[in-house]
Amino acid sequence: MPRGLTILGLESSCDDTAAAVVRQRAGARPEILASVVHGQTALHADYGGVVPEIAARAHAEKLDICVEEALAQAGIGLAEIDAVAVTAGPGLIGGVLSGVMCAKGIAAGAGLPLVGVNHLAGHALTPRLTDGLDFPYLALLVSGGHCQFLLVEGCDAFTRLGGTIDDAPGEAFDKTARLLGLPQPGGPAVERTARGGDPARFSFPRPLLDRPGCDMSFSGLKTALLRARDALIAEQGGLYEADRRDLCAGFQAALRDVLAEKSRRALDQCTGLTGFAVAGGVAANAAIRAALSSLAEAEGVPFLAPPLALCTDNAAMIAWAGLELFRAGHRDGFDLAARPRWPLDGAAPALLGSGRKGAKA
Amino acid sequence: MPPDAARILAFDTSAAHCAAALLSGGTVLATRSEEMDRGQAERLFPLLEEVLAEGGLGWRDLDAVAVGTGPGNFTGIRIAVAAARGLALSLSRPAIGVSGFEALAEAAPGPVLASIDARRGMVHLQLLDGEQAAAPVTAPLDALPPLPGAAGAACIGHEAGAVAAVLGARAAAPRLPVAQAIAQVAARRRDRPQPRPAPLYLRGADAAPASDQPPVILP
Repeated sequence: MPRGLTILGLESSCDDTAAAVVRQRAGARPEILASVVHGQTALHADYGGVVPEIAARAHAEKLDICVEEALAQAGIGLAEIDAVAVTAGPGLIGGVLSGVMCAKGIAAGAGLPLVGVNHLAGHALTPRLTDGLDFPYLALLVSGGHCQFLLVEGCDAFTRLGGTIDDAPGEAFDKTARLLGLPQPGGPAVERTARGGDPARFSFPRPLLDRPGCDMSFSGLKTALLRARDALIAEQGGLYEADRRDLCAGFQAALRDVLAEKSRRALDQCTGLTGFAVAGGVAANAAIRAALSSLAEAEGVPFLAPPLALCTDNAAMIAWAGLELFRAGHRDGFDLAARPRWPLDGAAPALLGSGRKGAKA
Repeated sequence: MPPDAARILAFDTSAAHCAAALLSGGTVLATRSEEMDRGQAERLFPLLEEVLAEGGLGWRDLDAVAVGTGPGNFTGIRIAVAAARGLALSLSRPAIGVSGFEALAEAAPGPVLASIDARRGMVHLQLLDGEQAAAPVTAPLDALPPLPGAAGAACIGHEAGAVAAVLGARAAAPRLPVAQAIAQVAARRRDRPQPRPAPLYLRGADAAPASDQPPVILP
């Protein structure tokens, strides 16, 4: 294949509508020819979180527009595309369905193969897009919806070493911001406010550090923050800026400590790693990134954190994962289903969710 | 090519079905309708390819796609609309949105009161007369408001008999299967520019404003 592979990717599993074009020529590094992301933050601002029906409505009327923008930015037509890759789960089902159906329409009309991509695989394979990282490596996916350690041994070979048994850290950042009257998304707001704060003033728990393994829990941390806030409000009738700084600093430090210690344990379980990569929106947090980076250095493993735009939800990672899968021979039929739940590692016991709908993670 | 010679593929998943029709110059080449409560997203494209194959046409032979925009099941109308928009993009052909009301009224002589199930004991109603249409209303079936112009209209659709009795209309059956009706409405519209199809929800998203009250920030 002299001209290599050029893949169109679509992503709509949460509150970002995205389309991208990724190309890899034979023997060369992959290139992102276009990556378009339309966020929905403003649509959900009044609701204290992403409202699935509002998200689905926006995706359904935005996806084709994003694809047109991405193709225009890349300066190519569908005739130069080799396959259409689309997030087929896990995520908010209304959005995933809109993406899958739009992708089917594009693939059918253009006579192109269709590749359904696991959103988590998109995040986990991003270090290969950005840095050409070889297998096997350890990936920590840490975002608003997910938190798990994955040993990545191939584009469809993932072993989950551990993960959250309740909330995701990004969710905890958002909740913290709401509890403290800070804007959404909570991650950047809490990080900004934590600067200059005293992380030791409040004693926040480090859940599950006393237990072996790589599983994590963050819901108790949220509760501890709520209690500390309510105690201050009962005493003073409100919060001083210094209180907010110290609460944010303490919360962030607790989260950082849990992620760093569990990362150490995950690294210790693996041998022959080419690197330790972090992905997901929470990877943008400088304090967490610094802790993970120094841990990797101490363990003698290269540390990788993709640029922010490729850590948060985007379609370049879906196009790239689709490219790797396509090259490995994966194709999906037009009966491709959208899946709200889709664990990357089908063999690991469920951490979250069970019953009729199956494991969430 | 005159508009009525157009080759149009129409489909609808706004209720518990997956329906499609392929028209060429006003002639139905192939049609399918399958009842299903779920699974439309998986079934739609295989069904469309069966219809095309039966009609002896390929995707590239189409002059337009037409899609039912609802109202109806939110997920169902998004499935069809997203598919239609993807097809419009890849085929460089228009995708034409047709409401469920227009589909019910298609080919009926005189004014029509179209009625669509809105769940929770409610019904969506719209009065149509040729190219004229009043604003749709959503009302409880057991407390329908008076609708000026409904008297004497043919009431077609969900609970048509009950609605007709209350509003002074007469109940009638749809003249055409839904996908064929959508294709015919779209065929008439092809001669003028059409907006991208958009779901017709007629009901807001269920969402409660955030319950967390921000704390007082002290000076």
